[in-house]
Amino acid sequence: MTPAFLPPTTPPSLPAPRLARGLLALVVLVGLAFVLDVALGPVRIPLLAVARLLLGHGAAADAATDFIVHQIRLPKALTALVAGSGLAVSGLQMQTLFRNPLAGPSALGLTAGAGLGVALVMLAGGGGAGALAVRQLGLAGSWALVLAATAGAALVMALVLALAARVRDNVVLLIVGLMVASVTGAIVSLWQYFSAPEQIQEYLLWTFGALGGVTGPHLAVLATVVGAGIGLALASAKPLNALLLGENYARSLGLRVRRSRTLIILSTSLLAGSITAFCGPIGFVGLAVPHLTRALLGTADHRMLLPGACLLGAALVLGCDCLAQLPGSQITLPINVVTSLLGAPVVLWVVLRRPLRSAA
Amino acid sequence: MPASRPTPSAHPATATGRTTVRYAKGFTISYAGKYKVITIQSPFEPKAPTVRYLLVPRGAARPAGYPDAQVIATPIRSLVGLSSLHVALADFLGADDLVVGVGSFKYVSAARVRQRIAAGQVYEVGQGKELNNELLVAQHPDLVMATGWPGEGADYFQTLRAAGIPVLINSEWVETTPLARAEWVKVLAALLNKEDLANQKFDAVAREYQRLAALGRRVAKKPSVVVGLPFKDVWYVPDADSYLAQFLRDAGATYHWNRTKAPSGSLALSFEAVAPVALTADYWLQTGSLTTKAALLAQDARYAAFAPVKTGRVFNNNRRTNAQGSNDYWESGAMHPDLILADLLRILHPELLPTGPLRYYQPLR
Repeated sequence: MTPAFLPPTTPPSLPAPRLARGLLALVVLVGLAFVLDVALGPVRIPLLAVARLLLGHGAAADAATDFIVHQIRLPKALTALVAGSGLAVSGLQMQTLFRNPLAGPSALGLTAGAGLGVALVMLAGGGGAGALAVRQLGLAGSWALVLAATAGAALVMALVLALAARVRDNVVLLIVGLMVASVTGAIVSLWQYFSAPEQIQEYLLWTFGALGGVTGPHLAVLATVVGAGIGLALASAKPLNALLLGENYARSLGLRVRRSRTLIILSTSLLAGSITAFCGPIGFVGLAVPHLTRALLGTADHRMLLPGACLLGAALVLGCDCLAQLPGSQITLPINVVTSLLGAPVVLWVVLRRPLRSAA
Repeated sequence: MPASRPTPSAHPATATGRTTVRYAKGFTISYAGKYKVITIQSPFEPKAPTVRYLLVPRGAARPAGYPDAQVIATPIRSLVGLSSLHVALADFLGADDLVVGVGSFKYVSAARVRQRIAAGQVYEVGQGKELNNELLVAQHPDLVMATGWPGEGADYFQTLRAAGIPVLINSEWVETTPLARAEWVKVLAALLNKEDLANQKFDAVAREYQRLAALGRRVAKKPSVVVGLPFKDVWYVPDADSYLAQFLRDAGATYHWNRTKAPSGSLALSFEAVAPVALTADYWLQTGSLTTKAALLAQDARYAAFAPVKTGRVFNNNRRTNAQGSNDYWESGAMHPDLILADLLRILHPELLPTGPLRYYQPLR
């Protein structure tokens, strides 16, 4: 049966020019959100000065302004852009693959796997001397964390891929993902129980999510991996369209379902794993943006939906980051809190506006 | 208790076998004949009801009055200290032999207590939710000293009290000055009947601290200092009422958040709010558990732009970290604010004191 969140037959797409205009409007929105995100922050910098610095016209009035714009706000806005588009695309792929409107990047247990990796570095670490040795290397804050999170996500991905080869039913796969998340969550809780308060605090800070601190080589790696993931997703646009009609139908259209499924899972793993590794968990973007994109563009064609979700995801995370700055204050709210606070009502709105029928 | 902080010369004479609280606001000690009454003002959080302890000479009958007070027989002959600070209190008063249990072996630095641990004379009871009540009930120490963390409440140690083991809540963290924190040693002194020793040793620390602070506060040029290590977007810095801000004032430093107050004692600022200060600061102090510049830059390459990193003026307070990873700054340092202040003066104003080695701080290599 057709998934309930989609029109029952081939979707009556809006006319192509309107779709193009919709995408163009999203491009403009992303641009505006990006400039706004760089312009806002605890330190007041005039919009004009920010614009001049961004366009590379002349140096800043003082070193602090230059540092803030180039070393803090620009990398953060770029991270928001990359993370937002990546999470939205991975969410869209999961919802289509599992034909479940409530699926998201965390559906496969990838986010939980990344969290397990981070907890391994921060909490377990071999206890006492071992953990100290890791800390002395200064790795805890950067690459070790990223590598551990990536390894955790990759481990879960390998498990899911291996199971995907045997299990044909996507619902079973979804349940496997949820159970993996549950088990890793329990292991992390156990470690927390036996950890020192300062270690728990560090892990807790990680779970709040942060767009800051991803600079230079980190940002380059993140952008490359997310770029590859989105590339894979765009290449899967046609298989995704076919999967909308059900696996049997897709197979009758000549689609090599298993291969497509592997590619889609690989792409999602790269996206969700790398973003969680660098930024921590960022909730609800992957779940909410695909719904918003479908509503906005009025199409179910993934050749349009994928770029649309990309843009809307970027705009949404940039917007959330603007709000997280609490304009005029010295504090920044954790990004995961802001996205979840905004995301939950959005999902509610979508769900209530278009009543869900049973998806099975 | 005096309403305002007296100058060191104004110390009134204290009767033998008694002590007077001069700096701390979190507890009082009063004497009534053979008995002593210790009152802890905010045992768990600012609004928690005060807790009273009635110190009765061993073998004597409980006096009338104080129905809500817990009775402790003095002098205590064995002590379980859940935090390393409690070990420091005992060590300061030369009472290491009384330490029979600690929260965690890992967090003990005092050499004499470490020897006792190595000799198997100390048991480990855990902390918080992991507190090993069964072991404590079986061993039945004369006193368990616990830290009163916010949110725990007085019934947190009910099991132990029901078993007749007194639990003394030590909440030195409510104090806003280093001397007030150190003065909590007088609570243990009252339990040990060692008031004279505590008066003598604490007064020496206080006199030396005030002497150094007078030097520090007088300097004309006060270098700017940034404190702590950020984690991604958040940089926790101590607020105006924290003991660290007091250290910096007394060490003749300029501290940007010297007038900003926060209920929790520290400010959760965004990286961007602190970065402009760090960019031009003269010194950067207390960088987590790091010991090298390379490790600092591995956490975030952007720190390279901060002036203290360029000039090599980054100092961490972890010189006395032992093989277990336990930092003595939090243990013996809590009893010796004079030595910490001397370190800070040697770092910030090298011309002020005769050259000597740093005790708790070290430059990042």
